[in-house]
Amino acid sequence: MSVMVDPELKLSHLQAMVFFALVISIAFGFLSRRTAYKRARYIIWSLVLFLLAGVGIGWLMYPFSR
Amino acid sequence: MPEEIPSKHEADVVRSTASAEPPAPSASGSLHDPDDVVESPADAERQPLKSGQREFFALAVAAAGWLLPGLGHAVLKMWGRAVALFFTVSLLVAVGAGMRGNIFSSNREDAFSKLGYVADMGAGTFYFVARALETEGPDVSRANGDYGTRLLATAGVLNLLAALHAYEAMRGRKA
Repeated sequence: MSVMVDPELKLSHLQAMVFFALVISIAFGFLSRRTAYKRARYIIWSLVLFLLAGVGIGWLMYPFSR
Repeated sequence: MPEEIPSKHEADVVRSTASAEPPAPSASGSLHDPDDVVESPADAERQPLKSGQREFFALAVAAAGWLLPGLGHAVLKMWGRAVALFFTVSLLVAVGAGMRGNIFSSNREDAFSKLGYVADMGAGTFYFVARALETEGPDVSRANGDYGTRLLATAGVLNLLAALHAYEAMRGRKA
């Protein structure tokens, strides 16, 4: 019996959100800051805000989902 | 990652917009604030670009950045930004195409698809890379494909933002 490998990449909603937040934070950090230290701080801060906003908006929408 | 060395273009710009009191160099010759731009003797001898020339080069840099993510910043010798942009945009495109996101084409009728096409085309040549990667076509019947569509559009919009950033840096805005 042959096994078909599904080449499609599968990410959950949370994984996709974290991936998006991380990649965009890195890009924004490099674009808006010059030094490594300031970039690292900006990336971490931006990532935390992205995640908090995502989870927060998710909870705000929760009452309307049913 | 080592600190980026400001390009000649940036130094040229800051020199022209510098205040009457330039930042005092430290004992080692570097500036106190690493965000400030160091003016080298070579820059001081170099003739500044004329306004028309600067605008032309700025447009060329923006076009290069749009065609290949990071190339605009590489031309300006902003190596860290160039590498970061190349990898972030390519990662978004690869994952978006891997999730079978929708890559919009130009022959759609509705406004949303046209807007999506503009966003996707923002990735420049990576638009065609995404099309080549997505051998089985898009599948937005599931949430996974929908996330992929967003990631592909994000790659394009991010690359447009980066091209605009390179354009502004070449024109003389502190970037």
